[in-house]
Amino acid sequence: MTEEDDRRRVTERRSPNEKDATAMPRRARDSGRVRAAIRTELEEVAEQNETKQPAAARNPQNVVVAIDHVSLAFDEPILEDISFDAKEGETVVVVGESGTGKSTILKLVLRLLVPDQGRVCIDGEDITHLSFDEALKVRQKMGMVFQGAALFDSMTVYENVAYPLREHTTLGEDEIEARVREKLQFVDLDPDKVMDQLPSELSGGMKKRVGIARGLANNPEIMLYDEPTSGLDPLTTATITYLIIKLQRELGVTSLVVSHDIRSAFRMASKIALLAEKHIAFFGTPEEMTGSEDPYIREFLGGF
Amino acid sequence: MILERFNAAAKRGVYSLQEFFVLSGKALGFIFVKPFYTADLFQQMDTIGVGSLGIVLLTGFFTGMVLALQSSVQLQAFGATDYIGSLISASMIRELGPVLAGLMVAGRVGSGIAAQLGSMRVTEQIDALNTLGTDPIKKLVTPRVLAALIMLPVLTVINDFVGILGGNVIAKFYLGKPSALYWRTVFEQMLTGGFTLRYIPNDFIQGLTKPFVFGGIISLVACHFGLKTTGGTEGVGVATTRTVVTASILILVVDYFLTQILLAVFQP
Repeated sequence: MTEEDDRRRVTERRSPNEKDATAMPRRARDSGRVRAAIRTELEEVAEQNETKQPAAARNPQNVVVAIDHVSLAFDEPILEDISFDAKEGETVVVVGESGTGKSTILKLVLRLLVPDQGRVCIDGEDITHLSFDEALKVRQKMGMVFQGAALFDSMTVYENVAYPLREHTTLGEDEIEARVREKLQFVDLDPDKVMDQLPSELSGGMKKRVGIARGLANNPEIMLYDEPTSGLDPLTTATITYLIIKLQRELGVTSLVVSHDIRSAFRMASKIALLAEKHIAFFGTPEEMTGSEDPYIREFLGGF
Repeated sequence: MILERFNAAAKRGVYSLQEFFVLSGKALGFIFVKPFYTADLFQQMDTIGVGSLGIVLLTGFFTGMVLALQSSVQLQAFGATDYIGSLISASMIRELGPVLAGLMVAGRVGSGIAAQLGSMRVTEQIDALNTLGTDPIKKLVTPRVLAALIMLPVLTVINDFVGILGGNVIAKFYLGKPSALYWRTVFEQMLTGGFTLRYIPNDFIQGLTKPFVFGGIISLVACHFGLKTTGGTEGVGVATTRTVVTASILILVVDYFLTQILLAVFQP
């Protein structure tokens, strides 16, 4: 597989994607409880959606996150000439083997790292050359869910979710509490039960949910997820996947997910970017991916 | 091969030093820049100050006692045991108080700060702060540094006092000197050192500048090693060890040069 092939593939797949890509699960090969769980949840969401239109009017042509010919090296190259984008309301999942620098992409989007070459644009604004303070402002448009949830372990769940509100808004205590309750309910946690608990008292799945609630607290335009389903049992994986889908459908946020869990990637993705050997080996819809004849992609999907 | 390795190590060292000074500059600069994390500051003052009270009281008291005990032997040779108060006062206030408080706080608080920031780094909480639009230096480092700058002089004064009290115990019960005599020599010593700005005894200037500087050293070294922790839980251990070793050495070395400078400036 040559570099030229990669690039051609990427450009071919980049035509606008008209289909609503978060339809029912595309692959019906799964079995057992997990599939049943997801089905019913998705049906619920679909039902809700008939009555409830997305809060924000989406314009699917707006490119929200654009990664443009980005290269990055520390001691050795990590990413080379990476390009893909996420349009408004889309969920783009970056998949690839472990240790291929997937999480690095999120750090670039958050501008915790600056690319050696190329640029990263958020809402059309090039964030590559921003100062530290300007970068802090841009980050407020984004909510990030970390792999280990990264909850502040000296604070209660309530304080954790309220943190971005206290930091960046002038909301009164009543409004903050209302917002925290709303977000916790959104991630299917009982506010009265968990609010006063410390992160160390929560299970892995609950921590992830609180992490999502905290990411959501500031009503961000963009949600970023680092391995949202790693280290979780199949049922919890299913519910977290369902949450991400629900979030995109109900709130219309643009999501960028980094995952090696190809199964849940297929469930939630509008588009998939496959990262292999420092390059984007494929970028397109899940249907295009399953239809691909490329041997590497076939091999990657082989485990699925 | 060896040269290459040396080269790399030297580069790392210089780079680390640069990072340390950038961090120090930012942390101290943020003391005067809004938003102020006052709650964090008070919490840190409680951890650093009130939390270290026990060990400071213990070390101060025993140091004062042992100092009196040891020097009484020497002073007896000259028949000068009456002046044990001035000896204890001078050594506690000028040297032992600040250095001992510094070393104890470096061990107790420095390691704690490094371990806490280190675990926050490896569990991505530092990244999370950044992501939530907070500057981690402002939120985490500045309150700790400021708290240490405020609390270390306070701890030192307490340390000095219980040290002199320890000397009093030995002078009274071991040497049989009356407390009134002991305390008179203590105060005489403070006054004979000369004054700055007419009213401030020079001993106090020495005794309070040092802990202020040590507080900065401890907190900044701890935050520096804590924030640059890499390599999971093992890295946290490494950061903690480095903090205690580096801060302790720095305290002893800086103490010497600081004494020279202070003596040159404030002693007649």
